[in-house]
Amino acid sequence: MKLSPRHTLTGAAAVVLLAAAAACSSSGSSPSSTSSSGSSSFGVNATGTVQFWARTVSKTLAQKLVSEFNATHKNLQVKLTLTSINDDVTSLATSIRAGDPPDVVGLNDIDVPTFTREGAFMDLTQYINALTYKADLSPGHVGLATYNGKEYGVPYWADLSVLWYNKTLFKEAGLNPDDPPTSYAQILSDAQAINKLGHGVNGFTFAGDCQGCLGFTVQPGIWADGSYLTSGNIDSQTASITGNQALVNALTLYRQIWTQHLVPDNDRTDNGTTWGQDFAAGKIGIMPGGYGQVVNLVKPSQLGSEFMDTPLPGTNGGYSTFDGGDDFVIPAAAKNASGAWEFIQWVMQTQQQDQYPALGATPVRTDVLTPAFSTANPEDAVALKALAKGYAPVTLVYDQMFNQAGGPWFQMFSTAVYDGNMSLALQQGQSGLTRLLQQAS
Amino acid sequence: MVLVAPAVAMVAIFVLFPLGFAVYISLTDWPLIGPYHFTGGQNYSLLTRDPQFIHSVLFTLLYTAIVTGPIFVIGYAMAMLVRAGRFGSVFFRTAFFLPFIVGLATESFMALLELQPDSGAADFVLSKLGLAHANTAWTVSYGLALTAICVFVIWFAAGLTMMLMMAGMQGIPAELYEAAEVDGATWWQKERRITLPLLRRNIALALIISVIGSFLAFNQFYILTEGGPGTSTQPVVMWIYEEAFVQYHLGYATAGAVALVVVIGIISAAQFYLLRDGRDQEARR
Repeated sequence: MKLSPRHTLTGAAAVVLLAAAAACSSSGSSPSSTSSSGSSSFGVNATGTVQFWARTVSKTLAQKLVSEFNATHKNLQVKLTLTSINDDVTSLATSIRAGDPPDVVGLNDIDVPTFTREGAFMDLTQYINALTYKADLSPGHVGLATYNGKEYGVPYWADLSVLWYNKTLFKEAGLNPDDPPTSYAQILSDAQAINKLGHGVNGFTFAGDCQGCLGFTVQPGIWADGSYLTSGNIDSQTASITGNQALVNALTLYRQIWTQHLVPDNDRTDNGTTWGQDFAAGKIGIMPGGYGQVVNLVKPSQLGSEFMDTPLPGTNGGYSTFDGGDDFVIPAAAKNASGAWEFIQWVMQTQQQDQYPALGATPVRTDVLTPAFSTANPEDAVALKALAKGYAPVTLVYDQMFNQAGGPWFQMFSTAVYDGNMSLALQQGQSGLTRLLQQAS
Repeated sequence: MVLVAPAVAMVAIFVLFPLGFAVYISLTDWPLIGPYHFTGGQNYSLLTRDPQFIHSVLFTLLYTAIVTGPIFVIGYAMAMLVRAGRFGSVFFRTAFFLPFIVGLATESFMALLELQPDSGAADFVLSKLGLAHANTAWTVSYGLALTAICVFVIWFAAGLTMMLMMAGMQGIPAELYEAAEVDGATWWQKERRITLPLLRRNIALALIISVIGSFLAFNQFYILTEGGPGTSTQPVVMWIYEEAFVQYHLGYATAGAVALVVVIGIISAAQFYLLRDGRDQEARR
């Protein structure tokens, strides 16, 4: 017999006479819009209040958007609630279980499949199909929000990985600052040249004990080579580690960088807490990292003049990016879904998308990349260009595979890069990913 | 009965009901979202065969065994140092207790920076003393990480033991010491025959708090090693956290949590029994 947690919780609550409290909570719900999903007026001239949950990582962007939307929509107001990046998933799940979810959520895109498989979000396929710019939406975001051919989310903002480099150090090392690395070989040779400068300067840096950071920055090189670490439908995925030459090339690059001491010694223990600070201090030649990460670490005047970015290359060229960030999703039980969709459509307009770079985010529409945008935001234009070739693994167990100290991704990376045992690393990766994928399916 | 009814009601609502509900969840395959199924004792059966859970339990026991003694001995010694109203006592009491007040999470982040190879204070000082290499990576090696965290926690927690011991010591009537001195008792005899026996309850309280704290260790490991390298420094609470909020196996994680509650209850009861004093026995008669 299938039991619903919600029913059990309700029954238990009744036992302890908490029904009154439940009644109080429901009395605070938002006024409903008159439009319902499926009607032609859905997302048009909605009224009432839209409860919007956004992760604190998008705080600046969310606050700005909500403020501007509320100033121009007197009949529809958005109320923003910021959720911790550590418990946003459980908070959302709890609200859905309780039958009182927000109307729209900015959810970390890699977490979307966990909910879509359970039917927790509203099917937005017909509304997304009606968008004139559908083909220009971030492919990675869309991929993560698609399940069984239906689309349950729209890209909200992009957090993309790029290759940052220090133009000043490039010049000092005799390198052309307008010719950033476009292959692994060039990354290595440029890092070697810069490392020779000495005086505390290193050619390269990475957060060597930060599993998520490494997944964010190492995988795009593999994707640029046309290879992926998992394959198959989300319900029956398999690991593609054994014999994956693109993966071997990426791990070999990092092994060479590590053994040739092209990185600071404390990179080995950097769990992400201090990631990028050495680069921002002007002591590093090359750093794979996030667009928004460096923008938030350096002075605006240093962007372009001292620090510049370029797409993360593959072994012999090509490029890709980790298509991170958040998707907009509307919980199936949202009270004001029409208002939520109206807000989402407004955010997706180019006027709003153009504001993203100044707020430390990358737009999610590739058609925003115009000559004017590139001139005004050259660093974000690099990220946005990469977005068109961006990807994010669609799996139910991303966190378990890539973001854990004991996960197979980091075990494989450590064995290959720090211990120098590539064959064992690949075995660990293949067996570890396979185990998690089998559990998930 | 009427007078204790509010307290009983509060305990029932905020302790017994959640605990009972947790036991119920532990008997299901409760997921993050979606329907669940009653699975009986399957989660508990799996726990006994889960190598990672067993490793976490054993690691927690090892960690508890390492830190409990030094926390008590150092805390007791510090209490002896500051119990009298000598010049500077207030300063040292404050200084010894300060790490506990500042908080473990904040200090764990500070420790993380100070344990960085090449740039942290730990390597700088130890290398000057010839005790470690200047590039020692403390947090990515099992032995070094465990050593660093144990030293860090002893420094953090000894202040609380000091306060508990000092409060007990100051409650012992001075007449007892004066009578002993008249009888020619030495300092050691006074400590052994008067102070220690009369501190039995305080010692029991300090040890129980310390052991429970060690069993529930999370912050320092989560911040300093994230349970690594691999999962070698993963205490049992971090195992529960990972199962519940990363793997989303809420039923299974709750079974681990219930098992932990039972183990802590048994150990605490054993400590109470072993450290009971005459007043407890008298009260039972």
